[in-house]
Amino acid sequence: MKSESSAPVLIIGGGVAGIGAALDLAGCGHAVHLIERGHILGGQVAKLDKLYPTDHCAFCPLWTDIKKVREHPLIAVHTFTEVKELKRIDDRLHAVMVRKPPVIDENLCVFCGKCAAECPEGAIQTTGDHVYPPSYRIDQDVCNRCGMCTKTCPTAAIDFQRSEETSELLIDDVIWASGFTEVDLTPLPEFGLGTNPDIMTAMEFEEWTAEAGINRGAIIKKSNQSVPRNIAFIQCAGARDQRMLPYCSAVCCMHAVKQAQWVQRRNPAIQCVVFYTDLRTVGRDYYEYSLRDVGGSRVRLIRGRPSLIYPIPQKNGIAIKFENTMTQKREIWKFDMVVLNGNIGSSLKKTDQEKHFSPALSGDGFVMPGSDDISRFACGFSMEPSDVAESVIQASSAAVKAILAKRIK
Amino acid sequence: MSGIAVFLCRCFGEINRVIDLDSLQKKLEQDHSVVFFDVVESICLADDIKEAASRIRKSGAEKIVIGGCSHLARGTVVIDGLVREGMKRSAIRLVDLREACAWIHADDPANAVQKAWDLIRMEIAALYHRRESDNVTISVCPEVMIVGAGPAGLSAARTLGRLGFKVHLLERGSNPGGMLNLISHVYPSDEKAQEKIKLYVHEVEKNPLIHFYPKAKIKSITGFTGDFKVQVSSAAGEEMFRVGAVILASGARVWLPHGLYRYGKLKNVITQMEVERQFLKGPLTITSAVFIQCVGARNNERPYCATMCCPSSLKNAVRIRDENPDARVFILHRDIMTPGSTLEAYYRNALAKGVQFIRFEETNSPEMLGDERVEGVDVYDVINGIKIKLDTDLVVLSTPLVPNDDNVKLAGMLGLQLDRYGFFSEIYPLHPLETRVDGVFICGSARWPVSSDHAMMQGEGAAVKAAALLGRETVSALSLSRIPGEKFGHASVNAETCTGCGNCVAVCPFDACRLQKMGRKSISRVNKFRCKACGNCVSVCPNGTVQLPEHDYRAVGAMIKRAFGEESAL
Repeated sequence: MKSESSAPVLIIGGGVAGIGAALDLAGCGHAVHLIERGHILGGQVAKLDKLYPTDHCAFCPLWTDIKKVREHPLIAVHTFTEVKELKRIDDRLHAVMVRKPPVIDENLCVFCGKCAAECPEGAIQTTGDHVYPPSYRIDQDVCNRCGMCTKTCPTAAIDFQRSEETSELLIDDVIWASGFTEVDLTPLPEFGLGTNPDIMTAMEFEEWTAEAGINRGAIIKKSNQSVPRNIAFIQCAGARDQRMLPYCSAVCCMHAVKQAQWVQRRNPAIQCVVFYTDLRTVGRDYYEYSLRDVGGSRVRLIRGRPSLIYPIPQKNGIAIKFENTMTQKREIWKFDMVVLNGNIGSSLKKTDQEKHFSPALSGDGFVMPGSDDISRFACGFSMEPSDVAESVIQASSAAVKAILAKRIK
Repeated sequence: MSGIAVFLCRCFGEINRVIDLDSLQKKLEQDHSVVFFDVVESICLADDIKEAASRIRKSGAEKIVIGGCSHLARGTVVIDGLVREGMKRSAIRLVDLREACAWIHADDPANAVQKAWDLIRMEIAALYHRRESDNVTISVCPEVMIVGAGPAGLSAARTLGRLGFKVHLLERGSNPGGMLNLISHVYPSDEKAQEKIKLYVHEVEKNPLIHFYPKAKIKSITGFTGDFKVQVSSAAGEEMFRVGAVILASGARVWLPHGLYRYGKLKNVITQMEVERQFLKGPLTITSAVFIQCVGARNNERPYCATMCCPSSLKNAVRIRDENPDARVFILHRDIMTPGSTLEAYYRNALAKGVQFIRFEETNSPEMLGDERVEGVDVYDVINGIKIKLDTDLVVLSTPLVPNDDNVKLAGMLGLQLDRYGFFSEIYPLHPLETRVDGVFICGSARWPVSSDHAMMQGEGAAVKAAALLGRETVSALSLSRIPGEKFGHASVNAETCTGCGNCVAVCPFDACRLQKMGRKSISRVNKFRCKACGNCVSVCPNGTVQLPEHDYRAVGAMIKRAFGEESAL
C-alpha cells in the first residue's frame, strides 16, 4: 500500500491494545514506534495467569504476538521509555522520548543466573516467566550497590552507570494505548486494604496464586502460608461509587468468577463467595462461564456490597459486614481471605493534563478520541474500560483510522 | 542429503561444569552426517550468531543443531538470529543442554552427559531425514467480498473503499443499512439511526470502488486466502468474481418471544423492535410502560446475555420519559448490563431521568394481568422482598439476538467453525476478528451480538486485517502461520500409494484434505493454503501416504529409536 505520509505512528503503551495496533499498522506497511514505560511488553495481560472464558493461559498467545512485534522490521520497540513531550514544529508532530536504560542489558544477558546467585541482598529477579527475551532485573530499592553482580556477569551486561537517553522523533500521529493501573483503595477505609495481608486486590491475588508465580498455583494465605477455608471476592470495590470511580470497570465480574473457579479447581475444599451488584457477563460464553461453578455448591453469589471489612482483633480472620439484598438479611461473616475487585482506572491521570502533551480526558479520566490534535486515536482501557477482546478490536479500529488519516494529509 | 552442523555452547561454564563437552565432541566425530562441529563459549550474543552463521556457510552444512539453553531462555534468540542470517527456520534444531541437562542433573554428571548425547543424536536423526515441503506462491486478488450491508459491513466497505480496494458488498435485502433501518435511535449517542447510516450509504453509492449487490444470494465459495472464487445471484443477475479476502458481516436476527409473557395474545405486549417501529412513525405519548429484560435470554435454551438489550431498554425508557415527563416507566431486570464508563453513565442518566428499576429472579418472573389488553404486571421485587402490582398500558419485551439460519451454510462453504450458539467463532483471545480460515474475517453481530457503534468499530477492525492481506502482491502457503516466522510445513500426499479411503478428509479440521478424481480412482489432495500442519491426516492414513515432510515418519522413527538408546544407524 502506498501512503503519502511516511512518518511513523507513535503508540503509547505496549499492552495488548498497543501490540494489536502496532501489528495492524505494520501489516499494512506503516512504520510504528511502540513505547512502553515498563520493562516488558504485554502490559496487564502479561500479569494474568488465566484468561476467561477459555481458561487459556495468557502466556502463549501473548508471547506469540510479542515476538511478532519484536521481529517485525517496521516496528521499533522502546521499553523503559516514556514520552516527555509532544510538540508541533512546522505543522509536524515531534515526540521527545526519554529512555531509562535498565542496569542489566537484555541483549547481553544470557540468562545464566550467576548474578542472582551472587547477590547478597536477593535484589536480582528474573523479568518474569512470560517475557521475550528473558532477562534479569535489579530491584533498586533492595540493591546495596555492592557490585558483586557486575564482577560475576560473563557478558558485562550489568552496568550501573548507564545514563538516560533522550531522543526526538518526527511522527505522524499518536495512538494512546496506555491501559489501566490499580487505583489506591486506602482512601475508602471500609474495604480494609492494608489492615491485613490477606486482604488484597484482584491483581495481587492473581499474582499470588498464579501457576507460574511464587506459589506455583497453590492457594494459601499471605499472612501465615496456611490454606484458607474460605475466600470472599468483593465486586465494585471503589467502582460504581461516586466517591472514587463512578464507572463500571467492565472486567472485574468475569475476573472474579474466573478466580473463584480456579480456586475451586485447585482446592475444592475452599468455599468462595462473590459479593456483587450486577453480575455483568456480556461477551461470548461469559454468561455460561459464570454459571459453570458459580451458583453451585462451592461458589456462592451474594448480591450486596459489604459495608465494612475488618480484621478480627487477636484472631485469624477477616469479618465482613453486609446485607444480602436478595433476602434483606444483615449478617457478619468470617473469611480467611478477601479479594477486592474493581479499583482499576486509566493510567493517564487528570493531573497530567497540565503538562502540554497529555491527551484530552473525560471526567472519568479516559481519553476522548478525536477531541484534539494529540488525542485523535485511543484504544483499550485508556479509552474505555474493556476486556482483552474488546481492547484489540478497538486497537484495530484505531490503527485503520490512523492509516486513513495519513492518506488525507 | 546435505550435511549437519553442530554447535555446543559452554554458556560461560554453566553447561561444561556438568556436561563433559569434549566427550560429546568425540562422539560427534564419528557421526558421518555431521560435517561440522564446534564448542563455543556462548552462542546467543549478536556477534556469536554472526560468526556461527559464517562458519556454517563455509562448511556447506544446511542443517543446524544448537546445543545450548532452552527455547524459553535464549534458544529462540539464537534461532531468530540464524534465520535473520538466512538459515531456514525448520532446519535448525535446539537441544536444551543447560536447563534440561546441566542444571537439573547437576548431581549426576555421568547420566547428564548420556541424556545430552541422546538428545543431540535424536535431533541429528530428525534433521537427517528431514525433507522440505514445497512452497506455493499465488498472486493475491486485491478485491474483497463483504457479506451483509448492515452497520458492520458498511463500515468495513467504507474503510476498504477509502484504502483503495475494490469491494463487493452483498446484501440479502434491497437496501443497505441492516438493523439500523428498523430502529429509530442508536445508543449511547442517541443519534438518529437514519442519520447515522446516511453518510455510510452515501459513500457506498459514491465510491466507484464499492459495488453493491442487493438481494444477493451466495451460490458457492471455493478457493482459499488470496484467491476465493464466489458465485453470486443478485438483483443484477448471476455473477462470478474472484476476491482475495472475505468479511462476514451478515448480522443476526431478533428472537420473537412466542409463548412468553402472553406475547401475541395480549394486544399491548410488544417487543423492543416494535417500539422502535412506533418511534420511527413518531412520538409515542403514553402514560406508563414496563420493560422486561432477558426475555428468552440467559435461560437454558439461550444461555447468553445478548449485550444490546439492556442499553436499548434504557434508551427507549428515557425517550418515553422525555416525551411525557409524567409517564411511569419501569425496567424489570435480572442484572443491568452496562459495563464500562459510557454505558454506566447511560444507566445513571436513566436513573436521573426517573426510570424505575425492579429486580426479579429467573425462577420468579413477572406475570401479565389482563384479558385482551395488558392492564398490569405482577412482579416480585427481590431487593425489597415484596410483590408489586404495576398498572401499565404497555409491556415491552427485550429479546436477544439469535444467529442467522444461513450461518450454517456460510460456515460450510468456507470451512469455518460456529460456536455452540451458532455465531461465527473467532480466534481466542487476541484475534477476535479473525477465523481459523486465513483470509476470512468476521465482524458485527454475526460474530457476537453487539451495538451498532461496536459493529462499526469491528467493521473497521476487520477491514484493516483484510487490507494487510490484500496489500500484499503475493502470498505463499508457508507464510500463513499464526506463530512468528513461517509455517514449518504442510501435509503432502503420495499420489501413487493413496487408496482414496478418505480417512484424512474426515479428520481434517481445516477443510484442507479433499478427494479428487484422478483417472479411474480418486485420491486425496491437500490444499497447502488451508493446511495448518496439525498432522491429524498423517496419524489416520493407513499406509503412510500422507506425510508432513518436515516430520517425516523415518525422522520420527529414528528419533524414537535413539531416545530409547538404540545405537541405530541413520
